Amino acid sequence: MSDNLKDSIAWMKSAKGITILSSILLAIFATVNGGPYILVNTIITGGMIALVATGLTLMLGVLNIPAFSHGEYFMIGSLGAYYTFTPIHNYTTMHPDSFLVIWGPLVAIFASMVVGVIAGIITEFLVFKPLRKRSTDNWVMNSFLLTVGLSVLLVNLHQLIFGAEFKGIVRYWGGMPLTFADVFVSRDRVIAFCLAALIIFLFWAFMTYTRTGRAIRAVSQDATGAQIVGINIETIFLITIALSCALAGVAGGSLLFMYPAYPTMGLEPLYMAWFVVILSGLGDILGAVIGAFMVALLKVVTVQYVGAGWDFVVPSILIMFILIFKPSGIFGTEVRGVLDT
Amino acid sequence: METTNTVQSSPASGNLLGKIGFNPAGVLCVLLMLALPYIPPFTDEYLLRWLIYAGFIATLSVGFDFTAGYINIVNFGYAAVAGYGGYTSSLLAVNFGISPWIGIFIGGANAAILGFIIGMISLRLRGIFAACLSWFFGLAIMGLAIKLVWLTRGPLGLRTPKMFATDSNVPYYYLMIVLLIVAYIICKMLVESKVGLAFKAIGQNMDAARTSGINPVFYRVFNFTISCTIAGVMGGFYGHYYGILTPDVMLTTKTVEVLAVAYIGGRGSLWGGAVIAFPFLFLMEVIRSTLSHLPGLNLVIYALMLILVMIYYPGGFSHFFDTHVRQSKNKIIRALLNNK
Repeated sequence: MSDNLKDSIAWMKSAKGITILSSILLAIFATVNGGPYILVNTIITGGMIALVATGLTLMLGVLNIPAFSHGEYFMIGSLGAYYTFTPIHNYTTMHPDSFLVIWGPLVAIFASMVVGVIAGIITEFLVFKPLRKRSTDNWVMNSFLLTVGLSVLLVNLHQLIFGAEFKGIVRYWGGMPLTFADVFVSRDRVIAFCLAALIIFLFWAFMTYTRTGRAIRAVSQDATGAQIVGINIETIFLITIALSCALAGVAGGSLLFMYPAYPTMGLEPLYMAWFVVILSGLGDILGAVIGAFMVALLKVVTVQYVGAGWDFVVPSILIMFILIFKPSGIFGTEVRGVLDT
Repeated sequence: METTNTVQSSPASGNLLGKIGFNPAGVLCVLLMLALPYIPPFTDEYLLRWLIYAGFIATLSVGFDFTAGYINIVNFGYAAVAGYGGYTSSLLAVNFGISPWIGIFIGGANAAILGFIIGMISLRLRGIFAACLSWFFGLAIMGLAIKLVWLTRGPLGLRTPKMFATDSNVPYYYLMIVLLIVAYIICKMLVESKVGLAFKAIGQNMDAARTSGINPVFYRVFNFTISCTIAGVMGGFYGHYYGILTPDVMLTTKTVEVLAVAYIGGRGSLWGGAVIAFPFLFLMEVIRSTLSHLPGLNLVIYALMLILVMIYYPGGFSHFFDTHVRQSKNKIIRALLNNK
């Protein structure tokens, strides 16, 4: 019993414990002071940041690619959902009794995932594989700059092909908003959050219990060792990119009712995901999820107490301090070992 | 191909020209640039405006390459530093009536302080994490420029006094060329000296450099300070040239523009970016204005070029030039290019 107590006190003194406890305290304080909607907002925002951030962590951890273009897969996902949902929506307005009223949005969200997978596979074959073939010297920096170019390319291709106007929908399911603790939350947001939670849970289970998931984790720990025990590393790379792009795509698809598709829509989720990755380090999926809720809390609290528009400045300053004093992130331990060039 | 392979060892001749990093062909290029405003298509004010913008990007790419090509750290908040220098100079001019000619150097000094800070706080970090830190630093500065409306007027833009009383672009063009050449000569002389050797050593392998007695703290901070000074002065020039300064100059896309030019020109060469900026941005402008019904096409080509260079030809233009043109069989060309 006393050992247990000592352990938990030691945990509280670690950087991890301090951060988690202080963010819980901040959440409680803000909730009591400002009202329960802060908590509800945090949880709903956190769910969607978590989806994007998990994909980014995966890409960084397994492939050592610090993806600057991750937001663009978010955009591709939302485009996919938009062009799937619009005909479905037209159909359901004519046939209001069709089963597509319930299932149509799910089809659109699933389509966004598929589009994300396809985009990821194409990227791997056209961009990362040739680079890997040529040289892996200075890989982290080179692949980062490559994704910078990719991001500019995808943003402008969107503008060229689909135009720069907002392509959004009013709602997926609609209906009466739900109430949690006197806070009205639209039904779509609740469903989007539940979907995010479900997908992250499935993803976690996939990484933990399946053979492929274990192989991915093996590659992230030691690529050479994984090759020695007979893991086909190229396949793993392909699966990883497809998965991480699918996560970003499904996030874009399920949030289409909030963020209409337009060329530079990927920037905000990208920044948020990067905040999470720096904050939580190259931890596991759980680290990214906790980090996502922390960033969401920071964002919501900043908007509440400092003002709208500052939700960009305050987190970046805080993240800078984390980078200065704890470069490997709060949950990460081995960032330098993995990423040292 | 490592960064260092593309660093040409200067055929260091004892003559003055070699010492400041030029060769006869380079001097010819400069003379051509000086004559350009009087050669027919460029007598047009519109084309001259565009040339000045290309020169702005070229100078920034020299300063950017000074960090990225030598100590191997990408300063991803570079445009924000330039904007910071520009805001310093413009605010001094607007609020205290200080002449832009003094202001841009105060802006440069202020940006140097910022570079010093970025260099200090990114000391513990390597590679991508240092890039991220400077990126977030830039984002934070841009956020401040947008939100401190009472000071900077935010997205509305700050009206700044112009440097020359005339409406013509020609004096700005010559000032631009002078700034470009001065920045290039400073950077080139530094990297050809012992300091430059230390930069390259740190860029290749920090631990080995430290073992051989190089103090990375001093050299990294020094490098950031110099490169940010150039950005600050250029930001001031930008503000006083266009007469209006908005936080848009600090956007990450501006950094990407500079980065693309520096990398397509060839990292670690300094002159590559400065030379390639003019034809490259000219091409982009031609595409943008002739194919205006296809918005974004120029940026698609821009990004494609960056990707292709990154994957297939990492040495960029300067590497191509060094291996194919400089070693040419023709004696006259060799003499022109090699200072002999």
